[in-house]
Amino acid sequence: MRSRLRVLDSVLLGLRGLASRTARTILTATGIAIGIAAIVAVLGISASGRADLLATLDNLGTNLLRVEPGSGIFGTGSDVPEEAAAMTGRIRPVEQVTQTTRTEASVRRNDLISELETKGITVLAADLDLIDVLRAELAEGRFIDAATSQVPTVVLGDVAAKRLGIVNLDPVPRVYVNDTYFTVIGILEPMEIHPDIERSVVIGYPVAAELFETTRSPTSMYVRSAPDFINDVAEVIPATVNPEQPDAVQVSRPSDALEARKAADEALTNLLIGLGAVALLVAGVAIANIMVISVLERRMEIGVRRAIGATRGHIRIQFLIESMMLAGIGGVLGMVLGAAITVGYAASRNLTVAVPPQGLALSVLAALAIGAVAGLYPAIRASRIPPAEAVRK
Amino acid sequence: MTAVLELSGVSKVYPGPPPVRALDGVDVSIAAGDLVAIIGPSGAGKSTLLHMMGALDRPTDGTIEIDGVDIATLSDRRLSGLRSHRIGFVFQDFFLIEGITATANVAEGLLYRGLGRTERKRRAIVALERVGLGARLDHLPNQLSGGERQRVAIARALVGDPAIVLADEPTGNLDSHTSEEIAELFRGLNADGTTIVVITHDVELASHFPRRVEMRDGRLAEVVA
Repeated sequence: MRSRLRVLDSVLLGLRGLASRTARTILTATGIAIGIAAIVAVLGISASGRADLLATLDNLGTNLLRVEPGSGIFGTGSDVPEEAAAMTGRIRPVEQVTQTTRTEASVRRNDLISELETKGITVLAADLDLIDVLRAELAEGRFIDAATSQVPTVVLGDVAAKRLGIVNLDPVPRVYVNDTYFTVIGILEPMEIHPDIERSVVIGYPVAAELFETTRSPTSMYVRSAPDFINDVAEVIPATVNPEQPDAVQVSRPSDALEARKAADEALTNLLIGLGAVALLVAGVAIANIMVISVLERRMEIGVRRAIGATRGHIRIQFLIESMMLAGIGGVLGMVLGAAITVGYAASRNLTVAVPPQGLALSVLAALAIGAVAGLYPAIRASRIPPAEAVRK
Repeated sequence: MTAVLELSGVSKVYPGPPPVRALDGVDVSIAAGDLVAIIGPSGAGKSTLLHMMGALDRPTDGTIEIDGVDIATLSDRRLSGLRSHRIGFVFQDFFLIEGITATANVAEGLLYRGLGRTERKRRAIVALERVGLGARLDHLPNQLSGGERQRVAIARALVGDPAIVLADEPTGNLDSHTSEEIAELFRGLNADGTTIVVITHDVELASHFPRRVEMRDGRLAEVVA
């Protein structure tokens, strides 16, 4: 003579317990749903955002260095020698070197506009492999080449193009640089980590030398190095490009800005996940609380069940299943809500949607685990009520 | 006649302060086929006795044998098993589950027997027909009268074919006419061979029962007609 409760029956029992207290079930499950939704959405949004950030980082590479003349020890600007790029190219792990030089010229839409209205646009003389080394892309047209660098042609940075009011190359636009009309042959895509080039128009060194007397002394030098030696290269560059005043040379790594953003994103994500975890903890306490109340209210039911043959274990499992289902309902609701928020956010920001399916499964499992932990104490309490006391009038 | 239930020297003391001696050396034997009324004023220890008889509680002293098994030797799990197979309880307040039908309530009496749903339902319908509620199978408890509710509770106690049915003031919440009907139902069930013990403080009701024992201050005495 043994008591036996079928698994299916115990699940149905839990379901019935929840169904008979609909409002309470919904309110309690909502707590879990909010916590799970917050975590899923934060993970989803940050994963979507990071996917794009990582793609950008990957694309641009982290092995690029930028070299600029800094202010010397006496506070005055100090030029970098013309041979700097050639010298740098001889450092063994260096793979590519390119350079730009700021000219004194100003650019205007046409000759009717005052010379003083520069709109903050710089005219840069650049080597032909600039976009190659920076891995920049052209939105329109092409970059200057050996032929076009000799004549008045210009490639616009993304921001510069917008400020000049040029959106495409049809019909072929011209811009007025100092006293000469230049033909626009290309427009660059936005360059996240090179805002200075975005705000410039780029011409070839030969034409710059001819019209504006620009020398090859670089104002910026871009160096691609073998990734493993990037720090060593950065260390020897100052003495290489300016042996007389190595202190007056600044070496930076443009991708550091993106790395910093990534780190900040991660920190924020962790913080939000922490908040979500706190919400889950609170929801778990709420479930435990509701289950304790439920046990008190259902003393009679517990007594009758014991009288018709339920063991302590059967009572325990009934309340445990109820608690887990309560949390599980919240978990599923939260998962759906969180995924919807992620998709909505990603769509509004044109991000790649990256909701990790394991994350969704894990969130429901987490909810069930919370339900189990929260329900444990009330369930044990229910099972310990002496049956004779529970049925007493 | 074999004894279904055998109590000898059973005492129950509820720890104080002050300690209460609810049962004080009770000896009673219930044979298969008995229909017994336990009468006595409230506070006499009737409910405590019934809980002992139904293995819901253990005595402080003395032995209780149900179907020849000394319950002192059984674990809590075994006691639960014993209750599920051999004992049917009827309570004064019916203790039905609201929101599920009469049939489902009766089938609940078989829930811890490991039977399938269809089998439980089939037996529940048979039990409801036995108590005369064949026409109320799908009614919810709040659609039933007090007497009908108690019949559902009795069907729930009967559904597992127990060796003994224990009823604690089954007519306590019913009017006298309905009480008569319930007493009549018990007599009919007993005539079919069911062993029944009924607790009541209603002497008039108890007079319909072939055997009566009276409780007074934790002691038991046969009432000779």
